[in-house]
This record gives sequence, structure tokens and C-alpha cells, in this order.
Amino acid sequence: MILHPVDTILSLVLLSVLFSFGSSRLPGLIMVVGFQGIVASIVPLFIGHDMTAGGMIFTLVTLLIRGIIIPMSIYIAIKRVAIRREVEPIIGYHASILCGLGLIVAATYVSRQLNIPSISEYTLLFPTAIALLVTGMFLLIARRNAIAMVLGYIMMENGIYLVGTTFSVRARHIVEFGILLDVLAGVMIMAIILQNIKRTFDDVDTALLRTLKE
Amino acid sequence: MVEIVFLTPFITGIIAFFLPKAIGRQLLVGTGAVHLILSVLIWKNRPEAFFNSYFAVTPEGLLSLLVISLLFFLISIYTISYLKESEIQAENIFTGFMLLFLSTMTMVTLSDHIMVLWIAIEATTLASAPLIYTHRSSASLEATWKYVLICSVGIAMALLGSVFITLSMDIGKVDAPLSFSSLTMVATTLDPMWLKVGFIFILVGYGTKMGLAPMHTWLPDAHSEAPSPASALLSGVLLNCAYLGIFKTNKIMYAAGLGDFSGTILVVFGLMSILAAATFILKQNEYKRMLAYSSIENMGIIAFGTGIGGIAAYGAMICMIHHSLIKSSLFLSSGNILLGYGDRMIKGTGDMVSRMPKTFVAFFGGFAGISGFPPFGIFIGEMFIIVGAFRTGHYVTAGIFIFSLCVIFAGFANQVMKISFDDFNKGDSNKTIQLKEKASMVWPQYILLLTSLILCFFMPDTLYQTIIDAVTAIGGGLK
Repeated sequence: MILHPVDTILSLVLLSVLFSFGSSRLPGLIMVVGFQGIVASIVPLFIGHDMTAGGMIFTLVTLLIRGIIIPMSIYIAIKRVAIRREVEPIIGYHASILCGLGLIVAATYVSRQLNIPSISEYTLLFPTAIALLVTGMFLLIARRNAIAMVLGYIMMENGIYLVGTTFSVRARHIVEFGILLDVLAGVMIMAIILQNIKRTFDDVDTALLRTLKE
Repeated sequence: MVEIVFLTPFITGIIAFFLPKAIGRQLLVGTGAVHLILSVLIWKNRPEAFFNSYFAVTPEGLLSLLVISLLFFLISIYTISYLKESEIQAENIFTGFMLLFLSTMTMVTLSDHIMVLWIAIEATTLASAPLIYTHRSSASLEATWKYVLICSVGIAMALLGSVFITLSMDIGKVDAPLSFSSLTMVATTLDPMWLKVGFIFILVGYGTKMGLAPMHTWLPDAHSEAPSPASALLSGVLLNCAYLGIFKTNKIMYAAGLGDFSGTILVVFGLMSILAAATFILKQNEYKRMLAYSSIENMGIIAFGTGIGGIAAYGAMICMIHHSLIKSSLFLSSGNILLGYGDRMIKGTGDMVSRMPKTFVAFFGGFAGISGFPPFGIFIGEMFIIVGAFRTGHYVTAGIFIFSLCVIFAGFANQVMKISFDDFNKGDSNKTIQLKEKASMVWPQYILLLTSLILCFFMPDTLYQTIIDAVTAIGGGLK
């Protein structure tokens, strides 16, 4: 089997997924999310879709938002509130990395079974997308730090974007753009809430957000 | 040009951010009135959308649109008095986001494209988050955080589900626009496996937003921490918007011959929600949270009815309309209680029957309505659902359904009796009611309840026909 150039980039993403499982510091995690965002916005360009001027501009805008604006806004949010830079794990780092390895194996196995025709030539595409999605969810569940949770959400969205843009040519650019704007606005609102959480509780540990129940 | 109906509140919403208090309040009611007129015109004329690949006028959308419009207009009248009585910092932000919220919800009702519907539903989350944080307390911050995070993650699942539906088109080699109406027409050629996967993801995704258990955890927090007019909107109409997403996908499933599959899942989620509500409503000590759990219950009832199909699907539609009318009136009344007693716990209230008689009438009437007493509409809706369940042989599920309704009624009644008739002072005679019951703070509730009452006895032909048109597409009807 010949490795497609897209697969080479995607293998880096898979490595970054492993890194994010073991990462204890927020700035590193933000870099990883930014890298994944950049790859997620470039990959559709390689996958045989129309190379029109509009498509190029769209890719550039996506790149700008996913790769730069979203990670930067989170970075600014942690700078401004100058919080502790650890992710406060519920599940430890070693166990997390083990989970990550298991996840990548499982994702590869599952995508082999599914056999989706439109992307069958790109061996790593579907496993990477699944890995991004599940890693995002893992960070949401297994980290108490609110910023790590937001990063998990962004990672999930990157995974869905990777699936969405490569599965089908149908989703038109204008609609994709709408989705992008929604995610951007969502992250902005989350960043604002983060600052308010910091101001109110003097920390972003979500264990403090436990007063409302039942 | 149906788009004008959501563009109007969008523009006025943005303007409202820059206006002083007094004018902003007028703008809120003014926009509500214009929106109502536009909605009625759309109902009568059923025009084509300008961007007809993205938007369309559908019967289920029309029903929700009219409910949203009527509710928003009445709630905006209440809001003016509410804002005068309570201190809200940055009122222009509140009114601005109320209008943006209206705009995004209207967009949901008119969306026909799968992805546009997703964009609109996510936009409702973003537009309503600042409303929940209006009081700027640590509890409301927590509620907002949970709301934004849980709903965003949930709705991301729905996006994935939508992507899977496009995949089912690819595999089935279908070339049609990615809109609900065209997919319903070509449903049989779609790949059934991916369609099923897509439906499950969409149900979990929009179900999170609709408040189906076990994804409901954000709902009681958000609905109890938001200011009452916003709670009334969240509970009365936002949940319907999320339901609309599930309903439209279910239409495709039914057309593809997978109605049994989707129906069973809906029944399971519906029953789980009703049971969850029954468990938690019994020991509630806050009245707004109690109302929020009742919303979860009603969303469960609606999902249950839709899943059973046939006459029960008709009942579910009836329940949806009447739940909106009655629950929003209850939340508005709870706003009066909060302003009057200054306490959100049930034990801080009491003796409402003599202290706040007008609010008592509205609250008690709403309680009777929401628990399914005749002559309010929910009674008819639940009746249809139970009859439908027995007719299709769902004896056990119908039994659980009826049992849970009884438990919820008992829990609800217990708390309402405490609020209404318990001794208020309890040894401390200095406590007084801090609210004068102005007409504009009780009449919106009366009108909502009266509408429910009238619709129960006399349903206009056009309304009846629209409901039938909507439910026929998922195999429902009065047969």
C-alpha cells in the first residue's frame, strides 16, 4: 500500500492526539489544538474537490479561524486570567496515554470495518477523525480545568469538520462557513464565561461549579 | 420573502444594544407585535422562501412559528413590568439578546436545509446564554457554563449525525439537495444503515437541547437561574425548536420505511425522561426547578407520543402546543412569586391565595393545566397518547407512562399546595409581599391559559388541518 501525502500529515495529527492525552500544561495543549485545526482545514483541499478561487479563499478563511483565531482567543483568555497552567486530570496521565493508544487502534479497526467508498484511498482519514472526536470527549470528561474542557470541545469540532468536509462534496461552502462562525462564536462565549468564572471563583477548576444539583 | 420574519428581530436586536432602557423596552414589544403580524400573514398566505434551498414553510414549522410569535408578544408585555420591578444591570444587553433569541428561534422553524437547521439551533444556544447569566451571580454563572458546554457538545453530535445522513446519500448514490423536504421524497433510496446511525446521533444531539433524559442535566439549572421572562421563552419555545429537528429527521426515517426503528428509540427516550422527572420532582424545594422538571416530563411525553405514532402522534402535537402556552404562563407567574416573596425556595413562600390572589389564579390554573386536568388541552393530548399506546399494543410502556404521570402529579400538587395555602409568616410577622400585582403582570398569563382553554373546545379548521398535515408525514393522524 502506498502512503498518500495526506496520510503523512494525518499521521502527525495522530501523534498529536497521543501528545494531548499526556499533556499536563495548557499552552502545549493549545498549540496541539491549533495544529489540528490547521490540518483539518487544509486536508479537504487535497481530497480531489474543486480547486476554484472561491474554494481557496474559503480554505484560507477556515485556516485563519480554526488554526489561528480560535487558539489565540483561548491563549489570550488564559493570559488575561493568569491561572495555574495545569489541566487538573481526573484520570492520570499514564492511564490517559494508554487510553489514547487503545483508542487509535480501535479507531483504525472500526474504520476498516465500515469501508466508506468516498475516502477509501486515504487510509488514515477516518481513524484520525474518530480519534480527534473521542479525544475531545475524553478531555471533556477526564479534565477538571475549564479551559481544558473548552479545548476538548474544539478538538471534537475539528474531528467532525474533518469527517464533514471529506465525506461528501455536498455541503456547500456557505453552509460550512455558517458552521464555522457558530463554532467561533461558541468559543468566544466560552472564553468570556471562563473569565467570569475566574473572576467569581478565583480559579477555573470545575469542581467549584457544583452548587446546583437535582 | 419569509426570511423577513427572522431578519426583523435580528436587526432590532442589534439596534437594541445601543438604545437607552426606555426605548429598548418599547422596541421589544414593538418587534413582538410586528413578528406576530408577520407570522399570521405567513400562516395565511404560505409564501415561498427567497432562498428556497435553505428555507421553506412547513406545517410543523408553521405551528411552532405561531406559538413562538404569540408567546413572545405576551412575554414582552410582561417583561416591561418585570424589568421595572427588578434590578438588572445592563438592561440593553438583556433586551438585545431577547430579540436575537427570537430571531434565531424563528430561523429554526423555517429552516429546511439540514445544516442550516443545525446552524440555527446552535445559534439559539449562543443567543440565550447571556440571558441566563443576566443576574451575574455565581449560581447563574455555573448554570450558563453548563448550558453552553453541554448543549454545544450535544449539538456537535447532531452535526455528526447530519454528516452521516449526507454519507447515506453518497452511498445510496442519491443526487438531491440536502434539505429535509427533498430527502423525504427520495428517502427510500438512501442507505438505511447510515440513515439509522445519523438518526441516533441527531436524536442524542437535539435531544440534549430538548431536555430528554439522560442528557437533561443542564435544563433545571438554566431554567431556574434565568430571569422569569427568559425562562418562559426557554421552556415554552426553545425546547420545541429542538424537537422540530428530531421531528424533521423522523419524517425522513418514516418515509424510508424505518419508522418502527426511530419510533422505538423515541419511546425509550421519552419514557426515561418522564421517569427522571418523576424521580426528581418529588423532592424539589425550589419552585422554578420544579417547573423545569415538569418541562422535562412534557418533552418526554411529546417524544413518547411521536414514537408511538398514529393517534398518539397527533396527541403529541397537541401536547406541544398546550405545553408551550401553559408552561410559559407558569414561569411568568413564578416571576411574580419571586418578586413578591424574594425567595426562590418553596419554604420561603406560602399563603399565596390571600397575599397574591391574582397570581394565585394564574399559577393554580397553570398547575391544573400542566398536570393534565380538563378543560385544558394537555388532557386531550395525553388522552390521545394513552389511547394510541393501548391501540398499538404498548401495554407495559403505557402502564409506566400512566404511573409516572400520577407520581409527577402528586409531587407537583404537594409543592403547589405549600406555596398556595401554607402559613406564610411562621412566627415572623415582619415579612410582607413586595409586589403590587399590576394588570400587565397577570394578564399575559390569563391570556395564555385562556388560549389553551379555548383551543380545547374550539379548534379552528386551519389549525386542525395544519396539525394533521404535520403528523401525516410521520404516520400520525386521527384514524
